[in-house]
Amino acid sequence: MREKSGSRVSLRAMALLLCALIGASPVVAQELTTSLVDIHQGSPLSDRARGLGNGGYELQSGNRVSFNQWYRASWVDMHVDLLTQITEDAGILWGFGTGEQGEKYRIEPSLKLGFLTQMHPSPNSTLSLSLTTTIGGKLTEKSCQADYGDLGTYSVNCRLAASQMAPEETLKYLVNAKPESQHLWLNYRVTF
Amino acid sequence: MPARHLKFGIATAFAMLSAPIASAQEAPDADEMAALCHGGLSICVSATIPAARTQAATTPGWMSPDVGAAWAAGYKGKGATITIVDDFSSTSRFSGNFGIGVQTQRHGEWTREEASMIAPLATIRSKDFTTSSSVTLAPGLNVLNLSYGMYATAGYSPNQIGWSAEEASIISYATRGSAIVSKAAGNDSVAVGGVTNGQQDYLDLALVGKASAIFVGALSTNGTTTNKAQLAWYSNYAGSNPLVQSHFLVVGVDGSKTDLYGTSFAAPIISGYAAIIGSKFTKATPTQITNDLLNTARTDTLVNYNASVYGKGEASLSRALAPVAIR
Repeated sequence: MREKSGSRVSLRAMALLLCALIGASPVVAQELTTSLVDIHQGSPLSDRARGLGNGGYELQSGNRVSFNQWYRASWVDMHVDLLTQITEDAGILWGFGTGEQGEKYRIEPSLKLGFLTQMHPSPNSTLSLSLTTTIGGKLTEKSCQADYGDLGTYSVNCRLAASQMAPEETLKYLVNAKPESQHLWLNYRVTF
Repeated sequence: MPARHLKFGIATAFAMLSAPIASAQEAPDADEMAALCHGGLSICVSATIPAARTQAATTPGWMSPDVGAAWAAGYKGKGATITIVDDFSSTSRFSGNFGIGVQTQRHGEWTREEASMIAPLATIRSKDFTTSSSVTLAPGLNVLNLSYGMYATAGYSPNQIGWSAEEASIISYATRGSAIVSKAAGNDSVAVGGVTNGQQDYLDLALVGKASAIFVGALSTNGTTTNKAQLAWYSNYAGSNPLVQSHFLVVGVDGSKTDLYGTSFAAPIISGYAAIIGSKFTKATPTQITNDLLNTARTDTLVNYNASVYGKGEASLSRALAPVAIR
């Protein structure tokens, strides 16, 4: 799938800047083309959030609390990755993630930016290198209010409210995770 | 009243029915941060995360699964002090096995060992009951374990008893709610404070209606909803007094696994539970912890539950630690 970029001016400026940074050929393609590289829903962090929904415990009354109700989302984090070609052998990788949230967690929207370049050490080989950086996309778990009757009401980690751990201690175990901030990809291909 | 001699007699009697426990939940286990990094440069979590468990850590067979959960969590009574008031000086010893090999010990050494196994991080103090001196309290939460009785000819009022400084201090702490007093109910198959062979346990009677006193009876096993437990044949029961019923708990004392029987080995279980609850709710008063244990006891794990037999029911550590509600 291939489509034209809708914002050529800004992309051209970005491309020139990137070329300067990475030492790529200053010759910019006359026509910038942007390709959809990947589109998918879910991520390791999304899976992680879903995993938090496993388990549960009984309240004092014996009624069971399932974690699942807190860690499910109506929309799963969607990632769109695009490549804007700026020379014959270089391009900008960019994209975004929509994020997702459930009752007790949130994955922020994210922005991905990087480049892809390739060279030909020999006529039948290609060496490719890409580096991308992701901004945002952090997974943050929210706390619960647990009522322990005469023993008080505390802000707690929802999953650990019935454990032997002191209520305030459980907050240390709230999940606070970041997606991979940088991704380096190196590929060497020989055709024979 | 020759209290010292009475105590000796009773301690021995409780010991003849020599030990164990009762109740489950998921326990957290803190994973190391490294373990939370997925793949090479992928995701790393910025804090250790306790993974929910579905099974408790391995514990001796006589213990309730609840205790295993407490062990796994690492909160094992830290910050609480359990004072075992018992026999630590007589020549009377008997054999048993708490799952760590056969031992031959004094009564107090057995009850102390049991409490320390339930709440390994609690500070355990030994107070020989022949000293008759006041029991002193340590900083923080205090739990007093009384696996003995004070027997005398029936018919007196507890107020007529000339208590030694030891028992006077214990009764005072239970009255004022300054320490949790876990009192073995007795092994005479009568109601708490009832007459047996013309005698009564006046320490039982003196603790009736006290804010932070708990009478502890023995079940022959740990109860479950599918395999309900019943009162051990020897155990005293709650009786008709509502003040006793409201402060009476039962726990499993599975002598088939330990060779130790008697309510002497029921009380240390409650002492350990109280210490664990105290390590979670560090600002809770002894009375609050007492009430937490009493109010969360289960009745659905007992054969033909009746308050006059089982009091509030089978102690449940997991429910005592759980919230009433969460949102």
